Amino acid sequence: MSKNMKTLPGTPLSGKELKSDKVITFNWRPNAKYAWSAGIAYGRFLDELKEGRIIGRRCRRCERTIVPPRMFCEQCFVATDEWVYVKDTGTINTFSLSYLDADANRIKEPIIVAVIDLDGASPGIGILHKLGNVDPKKIDVGMKVKAVWKPPEEREGAVTDILFWEPL
Amino acid sequence: MSFDKIRDPRKIRHQIGDMECDYVYTAGITGERFYLALRDEGKLLATHCEKCNITFMPPRMYCDLCFGELTEYKEVHPRGVIESYTITYENRDGKPLAEPLVLAFIKIDGTDGGLIHTVNEIQPQSLKIGTKVEAVFEVKGKRKGALTDIKHFKPV
Repeated sequence: MSKNMKTLPGTPLSGKELKSDKVITFNWRPNAKYAWSAGIAYGRFLDELKEGRIIGRRCRRCERTIVPPRMFCEQCFVATDEWVYVKDTGTINTFSLSYLDADANRIKEPIIVAVIDLDGASPGIGILHKLGNVDPKKIDVGMKVKAVWKPPEEREGAVTDILFWEPL
Repeated sequence: MSFDKIRDPRKIRHQIGDMECDYVYTAGITGERFYLALRDEGKLLATHCEKCNITFMPPRMYCDLCFGELTEYKEVHPRGVIESYTITYENRDGKPLAEPLVLAFIKIDGTDGGLIHTVNEIQPQSLKIGTKVEAVFEVKGKRKGALTDIKHFKPV
């Protein structure tokens, strides 16, 4: 406060009052848009999923086939060399039964997530996805599985274009 | 090929998002009075500092020079002089405008300040610094308590 001011002027306003007609307000949303790109490699991967195919990149130096694809080999520090299709079959590398859903609600039927080493990709390279049409008690590491795709007209270029993987 | 730079993320698979950073701005005590007078009475209000002999337009609550609180409001005529102007051919997003827009700083008569506003009803080539202009108000009932309650300024 100063010599001329003994109390603070002004009117405290609640959030509700701000939205009412009590005072004149100016509302604004800046036109701040962003475009997030999946990148060259992952973008092509998603485009191929829409076509019902799984694609990877091959590094000729370490002879690995990398899925999901990357334009750069993180082991050799060189650009990867070529696109290669891999199969939509694979082997369970590891899996987990979850009795909680994405919102942490308890559920009766477990969601089964698994890392699946893809046939045609290098050992230990694969994708994380869901398993279905399978008895949870009978799942084992090393089990052969195959992708169950959405019908072509419903695919949108996302990993969910594969519904789940079922035993071969 | 793998190092070809893609500068436009929309050329490949992408996601468009909207940043929801909304804000609500209140005009404050003096601003509220200024906008209410504009909306309800079609008047321009200024504040005056007796000690420093400054008339603030738009009105301020405190004097810039002596920091004294200003309680003296006075109505000023909604006319003034173009002190500076620019002609814009694009909107805020860089899209071409159908008609060029004249934006000017108008020093309001009888004050030491002024308003930035659009100038209409004039050929852009005959614009001059020093042109006398007056406010064209929106009709009462359509006024919302914003600077756009003045539609534009036009030459006197």
